[in-house]
Amino acid sequence: MKIEVAYILISIFLFLSGLFGVIIRKNLITLLVSTELMLNGVNLGLVSMDKMVGGVEGQVFALFMLTVAAAEVAVGLGLVVAIFRLRGYEGSSEITQLRD
Amino acid sequence: MEWLIFGFLSLWLLVSVFGTLFLKNPVHVILAFLSVILAIAGIFLHLGAELLAGLQLIIYAVAIIVFYVLVITTIPWEKVKKFEGIYKREALMAVPFLLISFLPIAYMVLKGKFAVSQKVITEATSKAWVKPYLPTTSFLLRWLLLYF
Repeated sequence: MKIEVAYILISIFLFLSGLFGVIIRKNLITLLVSTELMLNGVNLGLVSMDKMVGGVEGQVFALFMLTVAAAEVAVGLGLVVAIFRLRGYEGSSEITQLRD
Repeated sequence: MEWLIFGFLSLWLLVSVFGTLFLKNPVHVILAFLSVILAIAGIFLHLGAELLAGLQLIIYAVAIIVFYVLVITTIPWEKVKKFEGIYKREALMAVPFLLISFLPIAYMVLKGKFAVSQKVITEATSKAWVKPYLPTTSFLLRWLLLYF
């Protein structure tokens, strides 16, 4: 087995564990950290595929994804702070306005 | 040696990922996430993506972690303490789903064939129906370059 294939397996595990964290975490901030885990898994998969194919396009795409991650954190944490200041919510089980 | 580095980095990564998923305190979660980022920067260095490793350190470890810590300080601690931890029933339901979705993807990665870009291009150009067009297109290109 080549080492890139092993890194692709690690990246799949990282993505799925980020999804697991999004499902199970109670706190909104730790939920956002889990989405960051998913983005890191995708980055790792892109770079290892890049090493396997022998190009640099995946690294360029991962660079764009880094920018997207920074923007996503800014927007997500702004939303968390806004929700907390308006309603005093901090847990993911408290936000039920759309359901009720 | 390569596999030794792989084992060290991936073990570090897995331990910190489990810390990110299962630690209770949000500050500890963010410290575990910092450890994940450092491990991934090491993996990028090992894979030959030095620029991306440096940018990972600069953007994630400096900008994003500081932003998380800033937001944690703005929210009162009693409210954060009330909602720490995980939903246990959802965790038990999600584990088999994620295992079932991991196994076929891993099987496809291990047993499938990856398309290599240069090989695909040479195979496409060596097909029989492409060959008559190649002199024509090169002649047209030269003609264009000469007269326009």
